[in-house]
Amino acid sequence: MIHRFKDKSHFMKKLEELLEEGHTKKDMRIVIPHPDHDVEHLVEHYWKPSKLKYFTLAGGLTGCLTGYIFTSWTAIDWELVTGGKPFFSWPAYTVIAFELTILLGALFSLAGLLVMGRLPRFSKMFNPESYGNEFVIILNEDK
Amino acid sequence: MSSDVKTPVGSGNGGGQQEFYAYEYKEQMERDVFAAISKPKPIYYLALLITISCVGIGAVSWAIQIANGLGEAGLMNPVGWGVYITDFVFWVGIAHSGTLISAILFLFRAKFRNRFNRTAEAMTVFAVLTAGLFPLIHLGRVWFAYWLFPYPNQRYLWVNFKSPLVWDVFAVSTYLTVSVVFWYIGLVPDLALARRLKTGAIQKKIYGIFSLGWTGTFREWQHYNQLYKFLAALATPLVLSVHSVVSWDFAMGIVYGWHSTIFAPYFVAGAIFSGCAMVLTLMVPMRKIFHLEEYISIDDFEKLAKLLMLTGLIVSYSYIVELAMSAYSGNVYEYEQFMYRFTGDYAWAYWTMIFCNVISPLTLFIRKLRRSVVYLFILSIPINIGMWFERFNIIVISLAKDFDPYNFGLYSPSWIELGITLGSFGWFFTWFLLFAKSIPVLPVTELKEEVE
Repeated sequence: MIHRFKDKSHFMKKLEELLEEGHTKKDMRIVIPHPDHDVEHLVEHYWKPSKLKYFTLAGGLTGCLTGYIFTSWTAIDWELVTGGKPFFSWPAYTVIAFELTILLGALFSLAGLLVMGRLPRFSKMFNPESYGNEFVIILNEDK
Repeated sequence: MSSDVKTPVGSGNGGGQQEFYAYEYKEQMERDVFAAISKPKPIYYLALLITISCVGIGAVSWAIQIANGLGEAGLMNPVGWGVYITDFVFWVGIAHSGTLISAILFLFRAKFRNRFNRTAEAMTVFAVLTAGLFPLIHLGRVWFAYWLFPYPNQRYLWVNFKSPLVWDVFAVSTYLTVSVVFWYIGLVPDLALARRLKTGAIQKKIYGIFSLGWTGTFREWQHYNQLYKFLAALATPLVLSVHSVVSWDFAMGIVYGWHSTIFAPYFVAGAIFSGCAMVLTLMVPMRKIFHLEEYISIDDFEKLAKLLMLTGLIVSYSYIVELAMSAYSGNVYEYEQFMYRFTGDYAWAYWTMIFCNVISPLTLFIRKLRRSVVYLFILSIPINIGMWFERFNIIVISLAKDFDPYNFGLYSPSWIELGITLGSFGWFFTWFLLFAKSIPVLPVTELKEEVE
């Protein structure tokens, strides 16, 4: 069953009813034309929020550790004094660690979207369903 | 099931007192923005021809330099860094305001950003692409460029991670990667829109592939919103770090005029200043040509002008601090270096910079000028020029008069260097022209979100 709305407030009312009835991700699909904070707040009251933040955290930590460990390891792997500085020059390596924190944080987060949002979806690339600018609720798709 | 009750929505988009209906307004917006990327007129091909010719001039110049060696450039002792490094810093700087507009203003919830962010981010990506060429061009043997990357070689020697030049490799490549990701993620819903609205079969396929099969389900949006927030939060410190790292290429050296702690904030402010000017240079004609007056109002431009004014004042303040520090440092060499800037061989370049970066933005205090789109466009040109001269002054003037009077020398760029500089502008604008006709120039999805 498909409910289509051109108007957000009516859509929100129906959505709240359905969520109240206990519909879950498994039997209800919501399609909206643009991100919307009201919809997000409403749905996340019933459904779990995104876990993407753990991807970001994992990426950031990996980057930070790699930045320090890799630079320090290369300095002691073949000991060569440069600029009269110690082998473990952590202030200098902080720059590398900082950049890698951001690089891997961003790339892991991107991976998070692709994994959890199930993208890219090849089946939808060429013949997508399209509801234009309507707000849509699709119930019991599989049945 | 469907409900057709219309909700009136206040425009807030420069449409005066008219009332729009959210749904119709969104449909209209789609049509208007997509009209801009319809089939180009002959003038577009002419513009493209000009920019590609500039790229050709740059490519030929570079080829001559590769064939004959770095002697083709005007670089000499003591001025070993000249126009190439100036261009590098200039283009990296241009990139910065794109991230400011897309990430920092996003975190501050400044809504006017939605008018400029797509173009500004495109500008960021293309400017970093341009900037990235210059360290390569500056190499005597460009085919050894990969030596800058940390990879194990047969002598077990790694790059020197204590060197600011290696930091720069990391900073600029991270910046390019993250800007591309940020830009692309912002684009995905609009590409899905293009897949729906475009009529050509091949076009539909191409947009389909790049849209990743996006359908706009809540599950997608939920993760998407989180991702966008995190990318903005990551890009904000990144943008501040990138130009700081670029400034440390100089500040970590001991040359008078370079060795200064103010360089990092001074460079970041300058970068955003020049970038805002470039956004104006690009957006004012684009708004006119694509008839987007309804979506980008004078108020939006005024906010950008205020940003330009603010960063311009920070830059002016930095010039004063730099000067005051050298005057009060008690260091005669430092002091001499600054006196040389005002009165020496390159004084004309210094005063050009002061006129462009300090005096000309002061006119923005006049409200009427700040709200004149034509004036903003005209003003943006001297600011771009002034910021190029700022980098030229820092690099060339400081090097021309270094430690040993016997070693003083004057540098003037060769035709090869000027050809490559022209080529870099051609390269940047070629990318930009291709962007303007293939990707929605306004972030339709974000503007729709604003309507609700």
